[in-house]
Amino acid sequence: MNNKIKVERAVNNLTQEQLAEKVSVTRQTINAIELKKFVPSTVLAMKICKVFNKTIEDVFSLEEND
Amino acid sequence: MKSLLIPHAYKKIGWILLVPSIVAGLFFMFVTELPFSPKIWTFGYFGQEFLSQPKSPIRLDKIELIPNLISVLLLIGGLLVMFSKEKKEDEYINQIRLNSLQNSVFFNYILLFFCIVFIHGIPFFHVMIYNLFTIILIYILRFHFLIYKNATNE
Repeated sequence: MNNKIKVERAVNNLTQEQLAEKVSVTRQTINAIELKKFVPSTVLAMKICKVFNKTIEDVFSLEEND
Repeated sequence: MKSLLIPHAYKKIGWILLVPSIVAGLFFMFVTELPFSPKIWTFGYFGQEFLSQPKSPIRLDKIELIPNLISVLLLIGGLLVMFSKEKKEDEYINQIRLNSLQNSVFFNYILLFFCIVFIHGIPFFHVMIYNLFTIILIYILRFHFLIYKNATNE
């Protein structure tokens, strides 16, 4: 699954640590999601989108082999 | 879904029990003749009479204190380390837990497979003893390796 978390973080001027704190996970989790090593649960994905004030489709998109 | 995990504070207690028990366990792997070998009475079911008919289903057995104590401490320490939460437990840590558990069960049985094929007779009893702890130990190694790798490999 592709995601634009890094871009959205830059737009919102947030560090990984700050975003992690806002959605109650570790910084390593945000890092793993950005590196596409981990696909977040629906709940976490929605929390992240809420921080950026975006819809799920704005931040996450399916890859061809998903 | 209810989690079996216990508070993070137990992890320290787990390490304090686990590390000395592993060191002692490894020591007793090579040193079989002890200058002293205290024995204690405990409840037993099969015990020494496993191959014959036990007189009573529950009775007292005299067992070696040191190897049994090491095994019990290793199990308690291992379980505390294995099942205590990280400082901040989240869904990614949970995935690492699942991955580590899959790995430990898989490699445990691969190891057991080779031991069954290549180790026979009395030495196989040693394999059976070590095999009691391999799932816990492989899990702990794998889990902490992945946590460390994730923390350092950005």
